[in-house]
Amino acid sequence: MQRLRPILRHLDLVAVMPYVYLIALALALYLKFPALLTGPGRLNTRATAVFPLALIAFSQTLAIATRGIDLSVGGLVSATTALIATHSGAKGFSLVLLVVALLALGLLAGSITGLIVAFTRLQPFIITLAMWSIWDGIAFVVLPVEGGTAPPGLLRLLLGNVAGIPKSVYGVVFLYVAWLWLRHTRFVIDVKAIGSDEARARLVGVPVAWRKIQVYVLSAVFAVLAGIYVSAVTDSGAPNAGDQFILNSVACVVIGGASIYGGTGSVASSIIGAFVLLLIPDLVFAFNLSSFWSVFFEGFLLLVAVTISSVVITFRQSGAG
Amino acid sequence: MTPDGNTTTRGTTLEIGDLLRRNAPIFLSYLVVLMLFVAGVAKSTGFGSTDNIRFLAEQATFIGVIGLGQTLCILTGGVDLSVPWTFTGAAILTSILANQHASKLPQVLLLVLGLAILIGLINGIGVAYAGVPPIIMTLGMSGCVEGLMLVYTGGGISSYPPAALGNWVLDTTVGLPNLLWVWVFVFVVGIGILNFTTLGRSLYAIGTNRAAARLAGINVRRMLLVPYVISAVGGAAGGVLLMGYTGQAYLTMGDPYLFASAAAVAVGGASILGGNGHYIGTVAGAFVLTLLNALLILFNLGTGYLDIAYGAVLVSAAYIATQRFSAR
Repeated sequence: MQRLRPILRHLDLVAVMPYVYLIALALALYLKFPALLTGPGRLNTRATAVFPLALIAFSQTLAIATRGIDLSVGGLVSATTALIATHSGAKGFSLVLLVVALLALGLLAGSITGLIVAFTRLQPFIITLAMWSIWDGIAFVVLPVEGGTAPPGLLRLLLGNVAGIPKSVYGVVFLYVAWLWLRHTRFVIDVKAIGSDEARARLVGVPVAWRKIQVYVLSAVFAVLAGIYVSAVTDSGAPNAGDQFILNSVACVVIGGASIYGGTGSVASSIIGAFVLLLIPDLVFAFNLSSFWSVFFEGFLLLVAVTISSVVITFRQSGAG
Repeated sequence: MTPDGNTTTRGTTLEIGDLLRRNAPIFLSYLVVLMLFVAGVAKSTGFGSTDNIRFLAEQATFIGVIGLGQTLCILTGGVDLSVPWTFTGAAILTSILANQHASKLPQVLLLVLGLAILIGLINGIGVAYAGVPPIIMTLGMSGCVEGLMLVYTGGGISSYPPAALGNWVLDTTVGLPNLLWVWVFVFVVGIGILNFTTLGRSLYAIGTNRAAARLAGINVRRMLLVPYVISAVGGAAGGVLLMGYTGQAYLTMGDPYLFASAAAVAVGGASILGGNGHYIGTVAGAFVLTLLNALLILFNLGTGYLDIAYGAVLVSAAYIATQRFSAR
């Protein structure tokens, strides 16, 4: 064990693990049922499923990096799909106006959450739990049961191919590349500083309140964007459309190796986490199991991932001390 | 911090004032219960009838029974998000097994209790020994139990409780339904643990400062197992009781109780950071949520408005609790 420590310290196991999970699961799928991985249309199906989750995992990574969390994203996705489904046919509501109004709603929602997080001592977990309930309630009031349609213009805009490649693939690649640029900016450095030690970050001049507001506004706006995309993909609205994204986005971040206690996190790893998570239903299908097993394995993978990173961190700390 | 009146050397007036000030959020939550109840009576006189009060208490029991474990978890700075699926899982397993083996209800209940303890132990071991954050540990566990229940039931069941169980839950003993006696039992256990045992004091100490608790000689890891086991057992008991009470078990029956149990604890004045709060507050929290539900039905408002009201109450209550925190 003594000899292992220096190796473990140099090889950042936590950062490598998401890629290990991805390769292992993709390989298992490839060996068992290659058509599910490489068959025609699979790239589009996979990227279409991953893109909205990757959007939310993007901002969830930043929220968790500040030692916060945003559970309200699910309610906002639901409210967005409900509003689109009930307003798509309305007169005087052009597509542009609808999207602008929804983004303004996201801005408002994020500002409210961000202001409460920044200027009170309330825990983000409780605030966003309450906001989730409130936005879920609004979604139910707007659209009590699943239904409605999305504007045809929205479907034309978001679905289909450009130069032979699905638009969803561009979306995922864009998020990945955006992070490669963003991770070196003042914003992300500040966000991680807040998560590591908020008092010290404040002392060295990090605008703590402003950064937190930015993170929760980004989170709400991304949730609205994900909601718009989900509306287009399902061509309907549902008052519970967003529920799956709450726990799944947190799972992506954790599978991506970030600590829920803040200060760490990589959106790139979280996006890999989204791919890993969404490979599970395919694997369950490939192994001819009942689709309900995927719920179990998603939970199980989350436990495996979090246990490995927790034990590695404890091990590293005890090695250093 | 705790309404244990642990200030024997001081004068009585000071003691009472001190008690009031320290437990202001708890008193406030009871005040909210009273206000909501008065609002109900003002809208409809039948709201204040004995029958309706008993009905409200029965409705609140499920949150109350789950709430003890959730209170203890939150007290130590954790949380148990797996409650909805221990709740649903226990109900469904009991109904399926007891209907297959009609004469073996006690054995079935013992098996369910054993499985609940196992779930709680795994949660506790993950949190205490592997150092896994409680949110993630219990979230993962929730997914595992949900998956296993879906596989076990084939994904679509709505089944009925064994007749003996339904009868027992609704039967009255000494004027109260057995359902309420269960809550009384949970209440006594909760007060007993928090006010009169080393375990209770240790949990407060762990929630306030884990390192200091360890230095004070508390076996932090072993103590941390207890809240998660109690939470799992409470969740299972809540599920079985709700099934007996409503006469059915279905896969989404536990869904409302994740939010409800955490919200009841927060409305009862506990800090989600740990070290602060009491089961007496959670009881008020359970009544606040139940009364809100009853009031919105009285005013003909649907579930959407209930969700909005729950969210607003949760934020306000949590805000008030932090005010006390900064005043100390």
